[in-house]
Amino acid sequence: MFSSVKTIIIVVLLLVLGGSPEAWGAVGCDLNDPDRDVARLFPGSTGYKTVYVSIDRKGGEPLLAKVETRLGDKFHGIYETIDVPYTIYEIFADKKKIGYIHGVNQKGQFGGIQVFVALDLEGTIKAFYIQKMTSQYAGKLRDAKFGRQFIGLTLKDFEQYDIISGKASGKVEAIKNPAPEAEADFRAALRATKKNLVLMDEFVYLPQAASSPGGPPKQ
Amino acid sequence: MITKIQVAYKNLLRKRVRSLLTLVGIALSSWVLVSLLGFNNGYKTALSKDIDNMGFQLMIMAKGCPYEAATMMLKGGTGLKYMKESIIGEVAKEPEVEKTTPILMAAAFDPNKGESGGVAVYFGVDPKTFSEMKPFFKFRKGAWFREENAYEAVMGYEAAELEQREVGDMILIPGKNVQFKVVGILERTGTQDDGTIFVPLKTAQKVFGKPDEITTLGIKVKKGVDSARLEERLYQLQDVQVVSMAQVKDTIMKLISTAKVMVLSIALIAILIAMVGVINTILTSVWERFQEIGILKTIGAMPWDIFKLIWIETLILCTTGGVLGVILALILARVTDVVIRSVLPYAPGGGLVLIDLELVLITLAGIMGIGLVSGIYPAWKAGRIRPLEAIRGEASR
Amino acid sequence: MSRNGMAIEANDLMKVYSRGSERIPAVNGVSLEIQKGDFISIIGPSGSGKTTLINLLGCLDNPTSGELRLGGRPIFGQGKRLSERELTQIRREIFGYIFQNFYLIPTLTVMENVILPLTFYLKPGTDEEAAKLLRLLGMDHRKDHLPGQISGGEMQRVAIARAMVNRPEILLADEPTGNLDTKRSGEIVEVLQGLNRNEGLTLIMVTHNQELARHANRMFEMKDGQIGQIT
Repeated sequence: MFSSVKTIIIVVLLLVLGGSPEAWGAVGCDLNDPDRDVARLFPGSTGYKTVYVSIDRKGGEPLLAKVETRLGDKFHGIYETIDVPYTIYEIFADKKKIGYIHGVNQKGQFGGIQVFVALDLEGTIKAFYIQKMTSQYAGKLRDAKFGRQFIGLTLKDFEQYDIISGKASGKVEAIKNPAPEAEADFRAALRATKKNLVLMDEFVYLPQAASSPGGPPKQ
Repeated sequence: MITKIQVAYKNLLRKRVRSLLTLVGIALSSWVLVSLLGFNNGYKTALSKDIDNMGFQLMIMAKGCPYEAATMMLKGGTGLKYMKESIIGEVAKEPEVEKTTPILMAAAFDPNKGESGGVAVYFGVDPKTFSEMKPFFKFRKGAWFREENAYEAVMGYEAAELEQREVGDMILIPGKNVQFKVVGILERTGTQDDGTIFVPLKTAQKVFGKPDEITTLGIKVKKGVDSARLEERLYQLQDVQVVSMAQVKDTIMKLISTAKVMVLSIALIAILIAMVGVINTILTSVWERFQEIGILKTIGAMPWDIFKLIWIETLILCTTGGVLGVILALILARVTDVVIRSVLPYAPGGGLVLIDLELVLITLAGIMGIGLVSGIYPAWKAGRIRPLEAIRGEASR
Repeated sequence: MSRNGMAIEANDLMKVYSRGSERIPAVNGVSLEIQKGDFISIIGPSGSGKTTLINLLGCLDNPTSGELRLGGRPIFGQGKRLSERELTQIRREIFGYIFQNFYLIPTLTVMENVILPLTFYLKPGTDEEAAKLLRLLGMDHRKDHLPGQISGGEMQRVAIARAMVNRPEILLADEPTGNLDTKRSGEIVEVLQGLNRNEGLTLIMVTHNQELARHANRMFEMKDGQIGQIT
């Protein structure tokens, strides 16, 4: 009888202290209305599970260094730090996992930009969504037409994209900026997308491949 | 020797599940009561702190204007009414007035915040007089703007965090498409100011097209002065309403007091129900043990001894349940905080549920008191069991 | 206790029950004298009123009429009706009881059961009695067991110890062997006999077993509410 009482107490303590990202300090990026947004961004899904991770907890400084190298840019400022919590939505169709939705915060010219991507199990973009952006031209960049240009792209496509110079090649080069007056925010959206994909690779896809039979795929 | 208390609690252990369920009933109602009283405590304290932190004790604004930024956001930024700036001069003349500060509240709707958009709230303020009214404002970085016409902004902690702004970054007022430079970011205050963006008054008047107009005038009253007389005179001014912070506090407290009374009634009903459960449990166990109780009388137990035995069982259940409920309330205080915030239209910053020792003792005393009273009937019934009934095996009524 | 050695004097005891309009005399005018240190048994078929009689003698109930003296002290008589409190006070000074069903408290150990009477009433110098009694009755080795873990015969011994712990003058045994097999029954009656002979305990035993009843000094038979000595 007492062991179950202990379990209950531990569970309650965890609920109160641990679980929520508020306990983590820095600000994360959640969907405003997950029930509605998941259904919209991932048609065919029946449910989702919310998981919180941070670079801090997943691998610390070495992981941060790796992410920055793959991103091709350092983490800037007081809001892009090692302890930022990231919200990963695992998407299910009945009991089968069919993909993920993940969002990142990115500093824009006039405000914060929140960029979400919906990915399948291989890491291909199935949907692109800017939840928030402050700009005169935000409408153009949040338009569905702009987002469609990202569908089908993968991290591989973005690996060649140089964030600092803005030089692109391949499929990423093909992405057109509908608002040339907001070049900075366009580039910010691309940086956010690349960061999003790199983080997902480090948090989800690489560990997944390492633990599956056959070992990690040949890079 | 074996004490009555030992006999009593060993008997409760006889039917563990039943005792446990009764305990849970009492614990739950005790938790509800403690949390509610704690909330009442906390809300009052937090509200007072919030209002004290506003800096000024009186505000005047155009009649019909909502004076809470929270209310304004609820209404989508509409319903603002304006006064002429010249009113400052009239008010400053009053002998009781120490300082005044003019404020222009404005809201801009940003359609690009999520799917349904959001409202950003801006306060146009006079940096000199405003900062004097709020000496406890601390800057995380930067400082107030100095020019009254500058396109500069000071952001509350959470407003800056949401927009990922640092000192030196630009912000945009949606709809007006005017750019401001962030020159200061404040530390957390635990009030609504955390979500506010402050800009110079004159700039705000220009950008929002309200030249020489303000929405609010904050008034700091001289120490030791009777503000009631000042309020009366201010009422004479045309088309304005006078709001005293004491009034605001009262209004909000009245708003929630109805809810509070309702919820307290529910808590009391919960306790009554739990007590009925206790009476039922004890009565059932007395009925099950009537033979045993009769025999106790043959080994020397007086009716008062039996009464005490049964009463102690009731007390053990109530006290344990009450204490468990208190512990539960303390653990879940944060969770309760979150739940209440999501339900109430206005919640001040800071901890909402404040459980102190006094509260705990009062609740426990109350529960034990009710336990004592509800234990009387079963204990009395048990005391009246006659040994003969036990031996004959007949059930007592 | 009085000097004249008369433990119980009963005079024309009557106990009448009313069932609707019927009046049923369970004890119909019983007179009886029991000496200090005596061992008497009462036999009779069920319904003869022997249990009712022992209840009256043991102050577990008020008679409808008649007199009772304990050690010369008048208890029932002149229509006086005693309250449950008064009856309990008399009972605990003078009597110990054992029953067919043992009635031990199942949540308490053997030792705790035996000392339980001391929680309610402590005669001076009785605290050491419990351990002594358990040894005397051969139950010392079971003192930390629960009633559920011991046999019927053992339970009755514990009940006897419990009845004795406050050093009563008179022990009333109502069908003490009713739930025991022949061997154990014999053992219990021997225990009771031992207490009577060695401790000077006045003993009244009700039973429907003639064999066991013969162990007493005097035997009575009860029929239709009236009693007659057989010896």
